[in-house]
Amino acid sequence: MKTIFKLATLTLMIFAVSGYGFSASKAENLVRGIVGPVSSNVSWSGYTVVAQVPGAGLIPVTSTTTVFYLGFTAGAEADVSNMVLYTTARGSSTITAVTPVTLGGISNPMIDLASATVCPVVEISSFNPCIIRLDPTKITLSALSDYYLAVFFTASDSNNSSLGLTEPQFQQSSLRGTYISGDETRLTVGATIPSSLSFTGQPYSLMYVMTN
Amino acid sequence: MKTFYKLATLTLMMTLLAVSAFAQEPVPTTALANLTEGQGAVASSGNQAWDGLSEFVLIPGASLMGASSTTTALYIGFTGGSEADIGNMVLYETPRNGSTVLKVTKVTLGGSASPSIDLASTSVCPIQPVSATNPCIVRLDTVKLALSPLDDYYFTVYFTLDTNNEKISGLGQSISPGALSGWSLYGDQTRVGVKGALPTNENSDQAPFFLTYITNQ
Repeated sequence: MKTIFKLATLTLMIFAVSGYGFSASKAENLVRGIVGPVSSNVSWSGYTVVAQVPGAGLIPVTSTTTVFYLGFTAGAEADVSNMVLYTTARGSSTITAVTPVTLGGISNPMIDLASATVCPVVEISSFNPCIIRLDPTKITLSALSDYYLAVFFTASDSNNSSLGLTEPQFQQSSLRGTYISGDETRLTVGATIPSSLSFTGQPYSLMYVMTN
Repeated sequence: MKTFYKLATLTLMMTLLAVSAFAQEPVPTTALANLTEGQGAVASSGNQAWDGLSEFVLIPGASLMGASSTTTALYIGFTGGSEADIGNMVLYETPRNGSTVLKVTKVTLGGSASPSIDLASTSVCPIQPVSATNPCIVRLDTVKLALSPLDDYYFTVYFTLDTNNEKISGLGQSISPGALSGWSLYGDQTRVGVKGALPTNENSDQAPFFLTYITNQ
């Protein structure tokens, strides 16, 4: 009887370990990301890029985390002061939630674009954009909401003056985006996404929104 | 320790029972699913004379919709001609938004990468004659490849330099390209090797001429 119990325990352990292995999530698109070649848009010191992730564009893939990927085409270092994700009701500009977005655990990272460990193909360009995967944000995107990723590049910063962001050439993504002068990452719940922002074009820098 | 073993055995029994219960559900047959958004409206009856031309079609990893599949089926559509003579077909894999080839996969029809498609045959194109209102959509052999959202793919087909291909036309260039974009180039562009660079897309995000749908089967 003791042997049976031992065998049962062993089998259970195998089940548990294999189940854990299969549960490792693979990266899936949450929306249609940037498609095709990109060009370069340079000089971002003191600007906030704002990318819209429309709930209406979500692919029905369930995920409790959301991972944003930023694209860079020029510069040696990107100095970010702050990154947040605003949530609004679908079609509304009133902010219902503000979620911090981080890289390496912080919302104000300095990204070393000249490092081969960060950007495998050096020197980066529009032909070899450097795609940075931000930390997974613990948020489940809902089709009933819209989302705005806002990234503020530090003002009066020589690194950011020569910084290049990806600018899509094709218009086939679900993502939209624009930019604005000043730090627009400090808006709070109840505030509104600035009405001066027009999301008629494709986003600068934001390339993909995925599950992992 | 004895209690631990007993508990483990109990848990195992419950797990097995639960698995068994779920296993009573009928095994679902794999449903046809789009891997990415294909072309919408069929638009074209033009763009004839494909002799000696290749078509490139970008299938962006960033557009894949999460349908899990180990195979990929490509569909090409025709709106004119009596026979399409294909010199070669391949599927290039590159990094997302990149142009360096990581892998080349052969694409076939009836087991051949250089088929002649008899567009005048009702067994191939049931409604004759083939036209913009009665396009003929041909499903190529399924490719044993799971598309990854972390890569891009380029379907490339070369039409042999012959008189049949002077008269064929593709169904694409529609105003609703889905997630696909395509362009044409002279010569056989299906021979780029791994680490080679694909030519630049000069047609921006125009809909493809021939490639229409990409599904799991």
